[in-house]
Amino acid sequence: MAINDLHNFIQDYFTSHHCDVLYNHDGMITVQLTEDMDRALMNRPFYWHYIKKMGHPGDPKQLTLITNPEKRDGNHEWIHYGSPRLHQIINHLHEHEKYTKLFERLDTNKKQALYPWLVTNIKISYQGKQKKDEMVSIGLHLVNGVMKLKMMEELQTKTMQNTISDYCYTISPMIKLHSGFKRIEKVLESYVHDQDHDWAEESQKTMDEEIDLLRHFYKEETEEQAMKKEINEIKKRYSPYIKFEVVNGGIFYLADNTI
Amino acid sequence: MNHMDIQQDSVFIDGFEERLQTEGPFSSWDLFQMNYQAALTTMTASFEGLKALDYLPQMDFMEHQLTSATQVIEEMNGRAILADEVGLGKTIEAGLILKEYMIRGLVKKALIIVPASLVNQWAQELNEKFYIPAVTFRKSYPWDQYDVIITSIDTAKRSPHREQILEQDYDFLLVDEAHKLKNHKTKNFAFVQSLKKKYCLLLTATPVQNRLVEIFNLVSILKPGHLGDYDSFLKTYGKNRKNLKQDAYLKQLVQKVMIRNTRQNTKFDAIKRHIETIWVDFSNEERQVYSQLENATDVFSAFSKITFLRELCSSREACYLSLNKMIDQSNENSIKPITEEIEQLRHHVKAEKVVELIKQAGDEKVIIFTEYRATQVYLQWYLKESGIMSVPYRGGFNKGKKDWMKQLFENHAQVLIATEAGGEGINLQFCNHLINYDLPWNPMRLEQRIGRIHRYGQQHDVHIYNIAIRGTIEEHIMTLLYEKINLFEQIIGHLDDILDELNINDMESEIQSIFSESASTGEAKIKLDNLSSVINLTHQQADQEEESYGN
Repeated sequence: MAINDLHNFIQDYFTSHHCDVLYNHDGMITVQLTEDMDRALMNRPFYWHYIKKMGHPGDPKQLTLITNPEKRDGNHEWIHYGSPRLHQIINHLHEHEKYTKLFERLDTNKKQALYPWLVTNIKISYQGKQKKDEMVSIGLHLVNGVMKLKMMEELQTKTMQNTISDYCYTISPMIKLHSGFKRIEKVLESYVHDQDHDWAEESQKTMDEEIDLLRHFYKEETEEQAMKKEINEIKKRYSPYIKFEVVNGGIFYLADNTI
Repeated sequence: MNHMDIQQDSVFIDGFEERLQTEGPFSSWDLFQMNYQAALTTMTASFEGLKALDYLPQMDFMEHQLTSATQVIEEMNGRAILADEVGLGKTIEAGLILKEYMIRGLVKKALIIVPASLVNQWAQELNEKFYIPAVTFRKSYPWDQYDVIITSIDTAKRSPHREQILEQDYDFLLVDEAHKLKNHKTKNFAFVQSLKKKYCLLLTATPVQNRLVEIFNLVSILKPGHLGDYDSFLKTYGKNRKNLKQDAYLKQLVQKVMIRNTRQNTKFDAIKRHIETIWVDFSNEERQVYSQLENATDVFSAFSKITFLRELCSSREACYLSLNKMIDQSNENSIKPITEEIEQLRHHVKAEKVVELIKQAGDEKVIIFTEYRATQVYLQWYLKESGIMSVPYRGGFNKGKKDWMKQLFENHAQVLIATEAGGEGINLQFCNHLINYDLPWNPMRLEQRIGRIHRYGQQHDVHIYNIAIRGTIEEHIMTLLYEKINLFEQIIGHLDDILDELNINDMESEIQSIFSESASTGEAKIKLDNLSSVINLTHQQADQEEESYGN
């Protein structure tokens, strides 16, 4: 589910933010930014400060991006996986698209119950000498406690919206949000505990060896401060740990029979 | 592992609850999915490999640069000496390593200490090539304001910066030209050692210049104790730097923290240098003036006479201008006749040759180096007469003008005429013809000239043309010095070490004194020949030792 078509991704990003697409052809896209998007991306706070003070509505810029490297023309920004612009957009998403509450869209004329799920996308980072990440998407049925993995993939086939469809009504959660989240954490904990931790053991070993080496170097008592500093640095560099970071999550109201 | 340290996310669920209480705002389904996709895209799924490569599609790394970066990260755990020979792209390797750490979220705060003259170049390279938002230190910024800061050590170690910097916890420290830290008794060394850092790169082309203990000191910044303590190191390995190559155990230890690529073991060797020495003869008139100058012994000091002779070999203008400057009442009668002769000369025989060479190159770019500004002006005019467009380049130009000239050369003019390669020189990899219109007497400067085009990024073989005039002082320098020490064919990476070892500080004045202190041309030739032999010998010895001692 990673970004596989950058051009579509960019286009979706701007249309989701209500920007008009003025030109879109062959790996080049021009959009008319809204004020919000201009403020978020164009880095000109003084302009907006000034223009608002003067009582003007302001004049958001247009932005042209080139996604096809063959079409680079030197005048417009080339956007690619490493470009600062893409990372600005990604950071913007990261900051603003963390929480949601969504309802499954249903075309129905009968009464239909929607059940609450707590959905969380959690990045697990394993850090020792090196670092790697793993993404886990978990859904928890807040009424019956059923848990689902690969939740985002399940949801991909559905149409979700921020408002509830006609004839639908929501069932109240039996499990409180906090204790639901605790359950998810517990599952993740046992998931990582069951793994082998060669990487962590190796880090630990290297850490011990390097700290040992220090004792060959610092022999005077006066050097204790210096040695402490080095030990700290070694620990920072090697101490193995695992970190959970919730990328985003929310409550999803789903028709029960569909999952 | 019995106990595993797990850091939970403590903010998400509270934040979400708050959001529910305020009834939003909530993400749309599209944007929610996009954030998830973005997180999947930016995460690093494996301990190994260089994720940074996906982020730098415009960069074309060389094999040895990729291996070095991987090795530093995966085997040396981010603390290493990068000791590649000059021109193999240490900066590129360092940038790649820093980028990789930043992408993996392992480095946020970085301090980059480089020579003052390179601060801007580093900033430019990190920003433009690696999209690393590095800023150069300005007085008005506090040290904790920016994440990646580039500065010189002289600024950094001065109060009040020193105190502020020492308070910071750096994730990454880089020191360029790190051989300046070779002495552990200096303030610079103590300062760098006391910086709080996680990862650390020391860049130097000459990790051991003189004494073996220099490597001990560098390693002590990275990994104190790796080579034992100071006294026992001295006792075990002594002071002889040859031990670094001869002692197998020491070599192995050093290889764990140092990477050294040489031109020989990299693909760089695939780019060939084609050297052509082009001999030309003075016209009769030119020769006459030359011998007139040569025989004017009582008018000038031996020293200035040599300068005039060199200048005449370059252009009438160069010689004429300096002669004119010398004229006063006492010598007017002896100099005037010579300058009058010079006025009568037609085009310089070398300039004609140059036009021929440029035409041979077709429409490819050509760079010409000369020692004299007067020659530079003359050549530009002469090329124009021959329908060839050229731009000048001088060390004295300000940065904007330099960039502009470089751009004109790249996009419009066929020829660039430069008077000096410059310490912080321009990179002209897009050009692969170089004419040494006259030769500097300092081989390091020659190396620098060639290094402008024969460097990382050059795609084609490079052609070097050396023009020299038979039967003149140029012939001696060419045959007795440069050709003899094989300077053109090989890059003598450690030429500076050799000269250092021979206690030659300034090659140029060395040669000048050979000429001016010799009673005859014969004597000068013998002395010059001896000098080359000594350089050669030292070089061969060094070569024999030069089994790679890095990793």
